[in-house]
This record gives sequence, structure tokens and C-alpha cells, in this order.
Amino acid sequence: MISVPTPAFRAVKITTSKWPRSLGAFLAALLLAYSASAQNQNIEFTKDQFNGDKEGLKTALKEIKLGNEWYDTDPPRYEQALPHYLAAQQFNPNNALLNFRIGACYLGSGGLKAKSLPYLQKAQQLNPQVDERLHYLLGRALHLNAKWTEAIAEYKAAQPPAGLKDANARQNDINKKIAECQSGMALQKNAARVFIDNVGPNVNSSAADYGPVITADESVMLFTSRRQGGVGDDKDPETGGYFEDIWQSVRNADGTWQQARNLGTNVNTKGHDAVVALAPDGQRLITYVEDGAGDLHEASLKGAEWKKPQQLGRRINGGQSHEPSAAYTPNGRMLYFVSNGSPKSNRGGHDIWRIDIEGRGDAENLGPVINTPFNEDGIFVHPDGKTIYFSSEGHNSMGGYDIFKSEWKNGQWTKPENLGWPINTPDDDVFFVLSASGRHGYYSSTREEDGLGSRDIYQITFLGPEKPPVLSGEDQLLASRAAPLRETLLAPPVAIASAQVTILKGTVTDADSKQPIEATIDLVDNSLAQTIASFTSNAQSGRYLVSLPSGTNYGIVVRKEGYLFHSENFDLPQGAAYSEVVKDIPLKKLDVGAKVVLNNIFFDFDKATLRKESTAELQRLVQLMTTEYPSLRIEISGHTDNVGKAEYNKDLSQRRAKAVVDYLTGKGVAAARLTSAGYGDTQPVATNNTKEGRQLNRRTEFKVLSK
Amino acid sequence: MMQKLLFTICLSTAGFAAQAQVDTVRATTLPPAQVAEKYYNSGVAKFNQKSYQAALQDFDQAIKTKADFGKAYYNRAATRYELKQYGPAVQDYNQAIQLEPTSFTAWYGRAQAKQALGENDGAEQDYGKTAELKPDYAPAWYYRGDLRFEKGDYQAALADFTAAIKADPKYAYAYHDRGSAQRQLGNYAAAVQDYSEALRLQPELEVALLNRAAAKRRQNDAKGALADYNAYLGHHTDNPVAYLGRGQARFEAGDYKAAADDFSKALELKPGYALALNNRAAAKLKLEDFKGAEADATAAIQQNAQYAEAYLNRGHIREMLRNPAGACADWRKAADLGIEAGKSYAAASGCE
Repeated sequence: MISVPTPAFRAVKITTSKWPRSLGAFLAALLLAYSASAQNQNIEFTKDQFNGDKEGLKTALKEIKLGNEWYDTDPPRYEQALPHYLAAQQFNPNNALLNFRIGACYLGSGGLKAKSLPYLQKAQQLNPQVDERLHYLLGRALHLNAKWTEAIAEYKAAQPPAGLKDANARQNDINKKIAECQSGMALQKNAARVFIDNVGPNVNSSAADYGPVITADESVMLFTSRRQGGVGDDKDPETGGYFEDIWQSVRNADGTWQQARNLGTNVNTKGHDAVVALAPDGQRLITYVEDGAGDLHEASLKGAEWKKPQQLGRRINGGQSHEPSAAYTPNGRMLYFVSNGSPKSNRGGHDIWRIDIEGRGDAENLGPVINTPFNEDGIFVHPDGKTIYFSSEGHNSMGGYDIFKSEWKNGQWTKPENLGWPINTPDDDVFFVLSASGRHGYYSSTREEDGLGSRDIYQITFLGPEKPPVLSGEDQLLASRAAPLRETLLAPPVAIASAQVTILKGTVTDADSKQPIEATIDLVDNSLAQTIASFTSNAQSGRYLVSLPSGTNYGIVVRKEGYLFHSENFDLPQGAAYSEVVKDIPLKKLDVGAKVVLNNIFFDFDKATLRKESTAELQRLVQLMTTEYPSLRIEISGHTDNVGKAEYNKDLSQRRAKAVVDYLTGKGVAAARLTSAGYGDTQPVATNNTKEGRQLNRRTEFKVLSK
Repeated sequence: MMQKLLFTICLSTAGFAAQAQVDTVRATTLPPAQVAEKYYNSGVAKFNQKSYQAALQDFDQAIKTKADFGKAYYNRAATRYELKQYGPAVQDYNQAIQLEPTSFTAWYGRAQAKQALGENDGAEQDYGKTAELKPDYAPAWYYRGDLRFEKGDYQAALADFTAAIKADPKYAYAYHDRGSAQRQLGNYAAAVQDYSEALRLQPELEVALLNRAAAKRRQNDAKGALADYNAYLGHHTDNPVAYLGRGQARFEAGDYKAAADDFSKALELKPGYALALNNRAAAKLKLEDFKGAEADATAAIQQNAQYAEAYLNRGHIREMLRNPAGACADWRKAADLGIEAGKSYAAASGCE
């Protein structure tokens, strides 16, 4: 009775009609193939090649024969053939045809299809002509290993020989496979963000475990397993594994699953029993039983005990049709199911249908948006009642069945959306259920990296769309902050004339009477020997004030008819600070014995050479002696401070007095009217203890000797 | 006016008012003692030599000698500003403004001092008064624009920068900041244009390159942005902010490895740079170096316990590290710190 493959294992059928069927034919093929001994060259299973190991050769040939027996049945039993071929391969890994067949066996077996690739590649290396199906099978192997581009190349090379009866069908198949590879390439680029975790050894065994169904809250999982220890604890003679049974595991609070237990004899029989659906509340389940062409049965839970499943009836199960999958709607009234049997289905293969369980009407095909000319299977209705998940070989499958999602929106189904890589793979991906929260899905898969043997049940955690990380930037958006400028607007200096001026002021009086005098004040630029300006002191007060801008060596001459002139010097270099000088000037009558200091006569340092700045004063003396008082007799005397030796000072003062006299005589003043005298430091007018005093003591004087 | 005043003081001080006729013309130009002015000028000289403390003493003396010496108050304020004595500076500017209410420089100076004190409203008003007294004084508009920018009033800031540019068409800073105002207003093309003009007028104002790059990034002109960052980094390899920016541009261009390299460079230049740590965490997340990413995000949070983005990113990272509890806690913390998305991430990920 158990001739129809169980739901999870409807393997891709590989056409074998063109392959050698018997040992004799196989051996003939081996003999016909060229032989060579070098590595990577085809090595035949012949005595020539293995002369030293006749026993080994004999055993290998025997294994080949046993393998061929399984391989050549119809349909071929690849899984049974494989161990024999692998044993022969141990003896001689370099036979093209054996490698080809091992590859073909892997491709045709349940969960290990991807392993076919190295054998087929080796076969091609050893003999590219080993079989006319080599390109196609290589394409399949590459496809199953997600080597999309290479697979497409092999598919394109696998043009069916002309004149074949099924050439069109083969070409269509190749075209579809190429399209699948193209879908795969696109989907893999945009991988779904999921974690895929093996649900662990309490659920999974070393045998095949698959077809998980869950309650909406993920608290209970039922699944199908071909492990030892079930109700039908015996091996299926057809396929070799233990008969299927339904098992159950309960979830702990921490998310781990408890040790699975068999659902018991009410549900499980000695034959194959597979779970198909569980009502969201966990109170009803649907099983698949291989009676007739394969039908759906329903069981309900009474307390802790499952009642015996009952056939769902002819509205659902067709007599000659195959119903491998079903799902309840959340309210339990509608049933979605998969069938290949309705004459109303014009879409080929298995389609998805929907029926009102309690009603009387016919089942309704979900229509062309969902159902394709290829097979659909593995229907699941999300507890939200409007989203379905199903598997299909059509749409944009990347190979075999892929899992799709569609929503009932505005009275129609949305275009099915491929759940994407890595949930879907190039191989069959069927039977997917999703928790009510949408966070977790469950399905079965064969994954070498974390598998516990054969197919295992995995939990998919959906991470949702990518959560974009947030970067932080730092900007200096204001130039004044990024590159501050100092923009202090300082008020400029105020113009202060005083900074450049010396104010000289005082009172001019008669030295004897102390009465104010209206005198003339000449301002002389000594360096130019020119009178810059002349002022007059006030007649009543005798007051005067002159402003002396800095930058000039000033000679100031205060003079009045009948008086001896008074000479002051103000040497004010450029930038000299403001100052006020009060200088009261007592003018002396021009009487015998009167003396005046000639403040504007200058000598070179330590010498008796007259400097040119003395010119103005000397000319005044000349004028006094020649024009104003032509008979005046005077004495010119030199005086020093007390620094240095007295004799030296006396000599210097004498020479300096003489220099003045010489100047005057040179200008035409009779020598007889002039006397010179050097008094050294003997006639101080001030103390020699201060700098200022010593300055006053260094002087040139003139004294009226007679009028 | 001042000249006449000085003349009068001069005569009375010297005591010659009555005898002016006998003292000759020269005497009439004679100054008074001008002790305050001497101190004042000495203060100016010292200020210009950057001897601010000494300048301050001179201005003190000038004011002591002459209590109504407006310019001395003004310059003492400027000196105090240099000495970062902003409060006393404002006091002096107050005096200066009282003595010379139409002196725009005093208003401007007080605005600056108030700004330094963080009294931005007062500063804004004073800049406004400066602009009113002297509309062609571009800095008044410019700095008021900056204050308005910082208040988030980009439209008003934009108007001020435009007025500054009108007053001084070669004012690179005003172009630059107007670019920034445009950027904040979402007018990226106008921003790029203004930054470009700022650079044309003042090529050494290279912060404009960084800001132009950022504006280009917002225009999705990754190539142009990278060119600007590269131009900047060609001259300044010591600015971590520039590496941070280029890293962002590279990240946005999908070149996560190069982005991470830039963030590393920023961190080399500025160890513990929280923003670079956060951004490198994001790049490492993209590169699927989850452990490294978590370490970076954690380090960023150590630098700044209120760093919402770093919490958010660490949430994403911890999700990938299969630490849902940690991820949930981080998303929630990010939400608490103001990133609303944190809540929805937590909800979508089944956080309890």
C-alpha cells in the first residue's frame, strides 16, 4: 500500500531511461570507455588495472552490481544504491561512470542532493562524454549548491539530443531551471534577516524529523519523525527508514523544548502517519494517511488524549487524488487544503483549495494568483486569518519548492512573495508554519553545519527589515565658531598735543626792583641758528608762556633794552613727553659787575671746540658788542663741576672761555674789550652733590667789566 | 566740539584766560594737563602690545582722572573682554553707551560681551541696535545671524546673513553661514552654492569644504562629498571631525570597510572620540563583526552615558549577537533618551 512517497519526500524525479540498466551494459560501458593509468584519468575496474588486488576488485565489482540493482529499478532506489557505489568508490575513486552514478544517486536521494557536485565534477574531469545527461546533472548539482552562474552555463550546455520524444519537455525543464537560478541570484543578494536554529536534540533525532505544526502560542509542537521507537517500530521495506509517526513536544518557559513523546496508538498506526495541521488552539489535528492515493484525516483532543483520526470525507479527499496538506482558519470553519485531484483544477499538479468545513458547497480553488502550472503544497494559514504561507515550485522559486506568502487584501490575494534566502534554498522547502506573533517560523531543513542527522526541524527567527544603525555627525556650521575672528574695535588714541610739547612759563621781572617787565622772548632753533618766534611778557604781570613742540634744541632769549639778556636752553628731542617748566626770569640791568650765564653755548665733550648749535648765542654776543654797546668790555669765564682734577678742570674752563673770545675777535670785536678766564670748579652756583647741581655748575658766563 | 572743550580747559587750567591777548596765537592751542588722555593713550599702546593687564590699569587711571571719559570706558571694556572679564566689560560698555549713545562700536562691543556671557537675547538686541545705527557694518548682521541660527531660527538667520552680504559682498563668513542656514532649511543646492562662494572668496576657510561635503551627502552626491572630504584631508590630516565626516560618506556609499578605517583614524587622532566609536560600531555591524561592534558601542556609551544613538546601535548589534534581552534593554534606553524608533524596534522584536 505504501507506494506513494510520503509528503516530505516527493523527490525530483530524474529520468534514467537512457542510462545503462544492467550490469552487463554497465560493464560494457566501462570497457568501452578509454582507459588510462595517470591520475585524473579514467581507471576501469579491470584486472589490468588491479592485477595485484584481485579480491579487492572482485568485492568492488560485487558492490557495483548490488548498487546497479537498486539503481535500475523503476523508480530507481538511489538511497539504497548509494552505499554500494560508495564502497566501490573506496576501491577506485577514478572511474568516470561510477562517479557519475554516485552523483546521480545523491541528486535523487532525500536530503543530500548537494553532495552530488564533487562526484559529477570528477566524472566530467575523467570523461566528459561519460553520459549525455552529464551537463544537466552537473547543472542540477551546481544549482543545488547555489552556484547560480555556473549552473546556468551547464543547463545551457545540456541541450537535449535532437529527435528525442520528450525534447520539448526537457527544453522547458531546462528553461525553468535557468529561470530558477536567476531568481536565486536575485533573492540571495537580498537575503532575509533571519536566524535559523536547530530546535535541538529533544525534538530532532538522527532520523528524519519534519512537518512541524504548532499552536498559535508556540506552546506545543507536533511533528513527523521516522525515528526508531514509534508505534510502527519497523522499517519501511520500500524506503529503508522507519515508518513515520507523529510526535509531540511541549515548550518550556525558557523557550527550550521538552523531550518529544510519541502521540500514541490512537493517532499513530503501524504504517506511515504524518501530521499535517494543528488547529490554532491545539484541539484538533489533521493527519495524512496513505489510504488510497493519500487522504487527510482529522483527530480531536479530549482532555489529554487524542481521539482516533477520522477521514475528512469526500468533499475534501478525492478517491483518486492526493491530498497531502491542509490548514485550519483561525475560527476553525474553513479548511485550506492541497489536492491534485479536482477536475475543476486546470492548473496542473497540486493546487491549493479552500472549503467551508460545515457547509455543503464544493471546494474552491484559490485561483491563478496562488496556484501555478507547477505544484503547490504545504499550506499554512496564519492565526491572523488573512495571510497564507505555502510552498510552490512555480512563481519565482529558486529551485524545487520555495515557501511563499500571500495576503487576502481588498478581496484578492496579493502576489505571492518569496520568503527569500536563506529560508528558501535551491532544494525543496516545504511545510512552514508561523507563530501568531510572526516572530518565529518552523520548518524542516537539511543543514550540514548544525544538523543532528537527516532532516531536522528548525526555528526561524524573523528579524524584520534591517534596522538601520544611526551614525553621528559633527559639524561646525558657523564659520565664526569654526575659525573665530577677533574683531575688537578699540577706540583709537586721543590726540594729546601735550605729549609733544613743553610749556615754559613764568614771570619776567627786574632783578633789582622785582617789578614785572615787558620783555621780548625770542625762541631760537639752535641747530639752524634761527629765531623761530618772538613773544612778549605781559607788561603788567610780567608773565609769559611759550609752547615748545618737541624735536628742537631751543635757545630762549629774554631781552629788554637796558638789561642784560637772559639765555635758557631747552633741548627737546622728538617724542619728549609733556612737561611744564616754570621759570621766573629776573633781568639784570646792564651794569658793571652784572653776570649772565650763556646757556646756549655748547662744546664737544671734554673739549674746547664750539659746537655749531652755539652760533645763535655767539652772534647775539657779537651784536651786543658791536651794534648795541660798542664800548662794552666783558669777561668770558668758564666753569666746571668738581668732577676730575682741579688743574685739568681749570685748564679746560680756560680754554673754553678763550674759544668764545676767539670767536668774538674773529667777528671783529677788539681783543682789548675781551678778557677770558678759567675758574674751574672754584665758583660753583649750585651744589656739586647732585646731577642737576653739577649741570648748573658747568657753564660759560659773561660779566660786564665796563660800559 | 571736543577740540573746543580742550581749548577752554587749557586756558582755565593755565590761568591765562584773562591775558589771552598777550600770549600769542600759539598759546591758544595749548592743551591742559591731559593726564587722563595720557593714561588712555598709554592704555591703547599697551592693548595693542597685548599687555592687557597693564592696559587695564592705564584705563583705570584714565577713568579715575576723568569720570566722563567715554572712550576710556569703551576701551577698558574691550580690554576686559580680552581678559575674559565679560561681566565687568558689559558694565563698562553700559557706561560708554550712556556717555556716547550713538557709538555703534559700543553697542557692538556690548553685544559681543553679552554673547560671551551667554546672554544671547541681550546680545541679539545689541547687534540689532548696532545694525540700526550703522547698517553697512556687516559684522553686526552676521553675528546676529549666528545667534538666530543657534536659536534654530534659520529663516531669520538667513535674512541677517543676506544683509551682511549686502553690506559686504566679500564677506566669506556670511556666505558660509548662510550656506549652513540653507542646509538647515533643507535647501541643499543653495547651501552648496553659498559654501562654494565662501571658498572662492576665502580659500583658506576650509571648514566650508567639510560643510559642503555634508550638504552634498544630503543631496545623495556621495562622489562630490568624498571629493570635498579628500580635498580637505589633503591639507589637514589632523582633524578627527573630517575623518568622521568622510567615514559617514563612505558608509552611505556602502563602503563599510573604508568607513571603519576613517573612524579608526579619527579615533587615533582623538582617543575616546565617542562619535567615532559609535559610527565604527555601525560600520562593524554592517561588516558583521558583531563582537567588535558591540565593544565600540559600549566604549561610546562609556564616554557618554546619555548617548541615545549608541544605545540604539548596540541594540541592533546585540540582536545579531543573539542577546535579545540586551538588545531590548538598549532599544528601550535609546527610546528613553529620545529616539522614538527604539520603542518600535523593541515591540517588533518581541521584547517583553
